[in-house]
Amino acid sequence: MKHLVYLLVGIGITVLFFILSCTDGFNIWEVMYFNQGYNDKMYNLSMYPVIAAITIAVAWGGAAIYYYAINSVKFDRWYHWLAVLGVVAVLAPVICYIYNDTVFADNGLMYVGESIQFEMQTVLFAALLYIIASFSMRWWSSNCRHTPLPQ
Amino acid sequence: MKTRRLKMINIRRLPALLVCCALLGGLLSCGGHGNLDKAVRSVLVSGDTTRAAYDSLCALVTANPDKYSDFVTAEGRVDHKKMYDLIEQIGSSLRPPMHWDTRPYGGVDNLSLTVYFERSGSMVPYDSRGGGGQLKKAVNDLINHFPAGSKVDINIVNDGIYPYSHSVDEFLQDRDIYASTAGTGDASYTDFQLIFNKILEAQRPGNVSVLVSDLIYSPKDTHGVSLDKIFNEENSLATRAFAQYKGKSVVVQQFMGDYSGKYYPYNGVPFDYNGKRPFYLVIIADNDAMDQLAQDSRYSGVLDANGVRNSYRFNQGSSEIDCRVLPEWKDNAGRFRVKHGDGIVLAKCDGDRQTGKLCFSLAANLSGLLKDDALLTDVANYDVQSIDGYTLSIQPIEPGMVTANNKEYLEGMTHILTLVGDLKSPRDEVRIALRNELPAWIHESSSSNDVSAGGSFATTTLGLEQLLSGMFDAMKGGNNFFEIVIKLQK
Repeated sequence: MKHLVYLLVGIGITVLFFILSCTDGFNIWEVMYFNQGYNDKMYNLSMYPVIAAITIAVAWGGAAIYYYAINSVKFDRWYHWLAVLGVVAVLAPVICYIYNDTVFADNGLMYVGESIQFEMQTVLFAALLYIIASFSMRWWSSNCRHTPLPQ
Repeated sequence: MKTRRLKMINIRRLPALLVCCALLGGLLSCGGHGNLDKAVRSVLVSGDTTRAAYDSLCALVTANPDKYSDFVTAEGRVDHKKMYDLIEQIGSSLRPPMHWDTRPYGGVDNLSLTVYFERSGSMVPYDSRGGGGQLKKAVNDLINHFPAGSKVDINIVNDGIYPYSHSVDEFLQDRDIYASTAGTGDASYTDFQLIFNKILEAQRPGNVSVLVSDLIYSPKDTHGVSLDKIFNEENSLATRAFAQYKGKSVVVQQFMGDYSGKYYPYNGVPFDYNGKRPFYLVIIADNDAMDQLAQDSRYSGVLDANGVRNSYRFNQGSSEIDCRVLPEWKDNAGRFRVKHGDGIVLAKCDGDRQTGKLCFSLAANLSGLLKDDALLTDVANYDVQSIDGYTLSIQPIEPGMVTANNKEYLEGMTHILTLVGDLKSPRDEVRIALRNELPAWIHESSSSNDVSAGGSFATTTLGLEQLLSGMFDAMKGGNNFFEIVIKLQK
């Protein structure tokens, strides 16, 4: 029961993150980095929901792969889990950057420097979501449920 | 044994995997938009707010009438009202909010045109065979800039209004319009009171009436009457005529044309004159028809015609101006964040680190005012009020200023308004207003003596200021043509 609560809380936080990625007044992607012209374009081109979805997919997907696909006693140490976190924290901003760049290019816009700075946030959000996803789903893993912290 | 254990593990972890998949699927699906929404958003963001773009949106609806049944009428046509509502809804959700008036594209009837061509003695030399024919060209251009199929009527005016007895095509091809209309009415005087009253009385919704004239008032029986008295009479009749008909807009366009022939001065001896002289197109329409004339691209050549030296729109009130704060602009100094919502609010304002000054720019569309650039770019015509004493500068937007990144903000805009001031007060309110006054060119183009061809005779019209100020008094609805309020918060 306790594990199910962890899962539901994790899902709740993730949904909240997604909702706060779609709002106009307060947008979670505009808290740490704000450049009016760049952020307005991101909003107008509906890019926030997509980059939020990419970040969530990579973070939760990374955790799912670690706990259920890898799921091996050979990889059940904390640094194995941390290595996957590192992959997630690199992969999510790279995919988001490619997506941003493609959409901007399609609309004849050029925001290279701004996009790189903006994606620094994705590193942080992806890492946080990976931790949340890990503590949401690890309980049902046969070999890695004690990673990164013992149960 | 091993297989059984694996199956148990799969069953045990199934809820977690299902929930995760449902979460991701849900998130991805709720971020999606219909193709129509996406297409509208793309058009607005790219600033491609043209009739062709609107037609492509309509084509999307007609290609999928079942999918977009909300936007199709019972007769199977595109519901332009609903399309307009959708565009407004999406436009208002953008940063900054955008407006695209697509109503003129949606089956609005063409405006009709009625030309009133003055045929007084002093007008004939504008169309002499040896001249440049600017007068006739201006009228022909006017007619040609109305879309094909528009209803066009032509009248000859002097002591009264007389229908032109030939077709529009014959009028366009007529090389000597005054010769072919010889004998129409009494060319020895022009009764503006009668002409304006008849025009305003005859005008129906959707009609644009244009008086082509030198705007020299020459009534009957003026022997011994002083010029001041004539000017006062002229001023009063203009006020009286236009005050009676509410909801009208008038645009006066000044052209220069070759004049070759006899000029008949007021209380003077007629003399021969060869040179330039001003003539005018007085465009009269209901406010909404004038707005359509200004905004509908089908009529783009009417109000911004070639050869217009000066123009002025007589309004009956202040206008709503479409304007956007430019977040990225070369002149910006200090920092601010544009709050989205009602009105223009700049939050988290911070002065420049070195100078302490805050400088921000707005792109505004002033084309709807139909004022010339000399008036719009002269800061002396504006009132700027604020606690910290912000100063204003204005410049027209030129094609070289538009980049891919600022196109969204500059598209459809005509001028950049830049404000600079010392950021001291924690909260300030900057009010910019363009005063509703007669432009300087009207005074400069007016004379009170036309007995000889010397001085400024080539560029002035007898009593122009009195006539137009009479119209101005009748149609002045407010003290400002527009007002923009910008709230600043530290």
